[in-house]
Amino acid sequence: MIEVSTDWYLTLAAILFSIGFLGMMIRKNALIMFMCIELMLNSVNLTFITASKHFGTIEGQISVFFVLVVAAAEVVVGLAIIVSIFKKQSSASVDLLRTSRG
Amino acid sequence: MLELLLFAVPAGLVILGALIVIFAKNPVHNSMGLVLTLASLAIIYITLNATFVAMVQMLVYAGAVMTLFLFVIMMIGVDKPEQTREEIKGQTLLVSGTLFILIGLVSFIVVNSGFKWDLYFPAVEYSLEGTPDLIAASLFTEWVLPFEIISLLLIVATAAAIALAYDTKVRKPK
Amino acid sequence: MENLLLVIIFLPLLTALGIKIISNLVNELLLNFLTINSALLSFATACGMFGLLLTDKFKPIHLELFTWIPSPEILFEFTLDGLSGIMMLLVTGLSVVIQIFSTSYMSKDENYSKYFIYFNVFVFSMLLLVMSGNFLVMFFGWELVGLSSYLLISFWSKKQSAAKAGNKAFILNRIGDFGFLVGLMLTLNTFGTFNYEKVFSEVLNGNRESLSIIVICFIIGAFGKSAQFPLFSWLPDAMEGPTPASALIHAATMVTAGVFMLVRISPILQFSETGKLIIITAGLLTALIAAFSAINQDDIKKVLAYSTISQLGFMFIAIGSGAYVAAIFHLVTHAFFKALLFLGAGAVIHEMHHEQNIHKMGNLKTKMPITAAMMGIGTLAISGIPPLAGFWSKDEILASTFANGGFYYGYWALSLLAAFMTAFYMGRHWLLIFHKETGNDISQVHEAPKAMVRPLIVLGIFSFFIGFINTPFFHGLEKVLEETLHYVDITHLPEGITLIILAVVSIGAGFTGLLLAYLIYIVDILAYFKVKIPLKEEIKELSSNTLYLNKFGEVIFVKGMKSFSRKTAVVVDGLLIDGLVNKISSLFYNSSQKVSKSQNGLVRSYVVYFGFFMLLLIGLFIATPWVLN
Repeated sequence: MIEVSTDWYLTLAAILFSIGFLGMMIRKNALIMFMCIELMLNSVNLTFITASKHFGTIEGQISVFFVLVVAAAEVVVGLAIIVSIFKKQSSASVDLLRTSRG
Repeated sequence: MLELLLFAVPAGLVILGALIVIFAKNPVHNSMGLVLTLASLAIIYITLNATFVAMVQMLVYAGAVMTLFLFVIMMIGVDKPEQTREEIKGQTLLVSGTLFILIGLVSFIVVNSGFKWDLYFPAVEYSLEGTPDLIAASLFTEWVLPFEIISLLLIVATAAAIALAYDTKVRKPK
Repeated sequence: MENLLLVIIFLPLLTALGIKIISNLVNELLLNFLTINSALLSFATACGMFGLLLTDKFKPIHLELFTWIPSPEILFEFTLDGLSGIMMLLVTGLSVVIQIFSTSYMSKDENYSKYFIYFNVFVFSMLLLVMSGNFLVMFFGWELVGLSSYLLISFWSKKQSAAKAGNKAFILNRIGDFGFLVGLMLTLNTFGTFNYEKVFSEVLNGNRESLSIIVICFIIGAFGKSAQFPLFSWLPDAMEGPTPASALIHAATMVTAGVFMLVRISPILQFSETGKLIIITAGLLTALIAAFSAINQDDIKKVLAYSTISQLGFMFIAIGSGAYVAAIFHLVTHAFFKALLFLGAGAVIHEMHHEQNIHKMGNLKTKMPITAAMMGIGTLAISGIPPLAGFWSKDEILASTFANGGFYYGYWALSLLAAFMTAFYMGRHWLLIFHKETGNDISQVHEAPKAMVRPLIVLGIFSFFIGFINTPFFHGLEKVLEETLHYVDITHLPEGITLIILAVVSIGAGFTGLLLAYLIYIVDILAYFKVKIPLKEEIKELSSNTLYLNKFGEVIFVKGMKSFSRKTAVVVDGLLIDGLVNKISSLFYNSSQKVSKSQNGLVRSYVVYFGFFMLLLIGLFIATPWVLN
């Protein structure tokens, strides 16, 4: 039987990360870019849990805990920023935020 | 057989959800795709003996965070369809270049190590169950400082969010 | 005993410093007292030292002050032998006489003390030059003499022409100094020492490498200092300085430094045929050009200036034909009668209230008889009329040139022509000033004050009798210089009947010149016989403009240099160097412009950059071990 080893989970995490990254590069909508960030964070979580299972320690799951909390806080603040930006410009496109060009 | 199925189905759903996130036009569809991904990931966590984390994930992520997302989508009302044409010069080239390098790198590694990820450390025989008491034992003794700090972080984040979204022109003149 | 040399040399310097210090405290009388007494003291000591030398059969006396550089060994040393003894006596003696004259000429001048400071500095530097024991000390004196000359020429520095003349003199001198300096370097390189005796003994023992180049370099130095062709145009302009200074510097001492130097290096000069040929040709050219230019000059001092250049040419002819004793003899006699002529001219200028154009003077002998008589003695001396001094020395030069034979006959003939022209223009000079009856108003003119007349009389007496120190019957000077020129091949005079015929010919040239001057300018014989000299006006113009050599030099060197430097400033500095700097800075600017376009403020492109380069980095980490295997 084909054994589901650690490699598969890591591969899945890598694919998830790449898809999230690709979405960041492609989409212009700020909200959707945020969702892609969530995808990437989740892939990291998956990697941690896999490592926890692989090495037999509990540290991995605790790290997931922390990542989860930080991600939630980040979502809160990020959405607040998006809301306040998009009150000024009616469009949701991130390409219109060009004030920090050099 | 069961193991394989138990891996393959959630994995497939994860990837499907991710693809929906990046390719859908309607933002609500994007959110639903994300919810699908998160739920499938929770199932995978359970198969990996991280039960507590899976529960927390469902509660926090799929419950609270996605609800927040949907609230914002409703508030802002992202109606206008997004333009699919790429406006930034050279972006397409760089993106395709990045993808090319990524695929090349990955295939290179995979081919070189003979379709097997070369992990330096072997897996342990028996892995731990991610039960709450085990997590709590470690979290409140060894990791108590980061724990306190992230609670501080949450408060700060909340305050920041209120400060950011506070509309100073709301008050009506008397 | 040798230490008395220090007194002779450094007393003028101390006097100059003393005058500088007390100049504001004392009046003119006290200053005169100080400076003339110190000059007398120097002269007396010099006479004493010369007497000492005389009794010792002119064996050189050395004095080493200190060792300057141990290796290669360069000392600060002085030598007193026959040659430097003569020059020492000449310089100190003339210094006394001319300083007495200057106290009267320069009185009531506002820069009275400054004049005497510069004068004493000049005397000091000239003594340093002639009494040097090695080439380096001579170079110190050489440079200092040039400096003092510059200071004295541009003495009335508020006058534009005086300042320019000073500049011209210094710059042309400098060109000569460049040659001297290269010669110094080559000497040190070849012989490893600057000491005269060591260098000469090395050359005499057979070490003749690079001798011609050294000699030519020193010759260039002599040309600059002694106003030979082509570096002579500074001397007529140098007449802007005070007349007594011109008398000392540009008649007797500084310009003869070149001649002195060449006689000093005669042990090595005698082996370089090229050098001797260059010297004699340049001397002849100079003598002819200067004599021709003096024929039609209007300024009383410019005639004397061109005359000096011409006589220096004669001295160089003497050196070139190997008659070193004759050169020094002519140097001595020329010093006396040229100083006499210059001081006389100074007296005339002073009495005519600084009018210098000779056509505005005339018949001054009735008003200034003593001056006229003394100037007359000077004119006769320079024309070579016996038994005055100039005849003996000039005749010796001409005879020695003749004695060399071969193509030197041509040189002799042309030198005779120059001697004839000398007599002609000097005759014209004296006649137009003192004899000719013009209608100019000279009622205000009277004889010069005693302090001016007495030096004239002293110099007049010397001009009369100094010739007797080296006649064909009594070779006094030759005996003096015998020790110095011991190893030098001197050209001797021809013997017997040849000598007498040559003497008669040169006397004849002198007489003819004077007679012609008298006939043309006083009796006006040309108008009488209605002889029309063709191209008379053009010749006159050529003469007064020095054959347009000055203009030639100005166009090529001055204007050429200016346009060249302007072009360099515009092209090299402006286009190339500035352009390079500007290009580099604009390169930076443009490249930074281009690079800053990547900062477009868009999140998505930043994400892409981030991912792209991180992937590259990871790929680098993975690929490197694989490549190294």
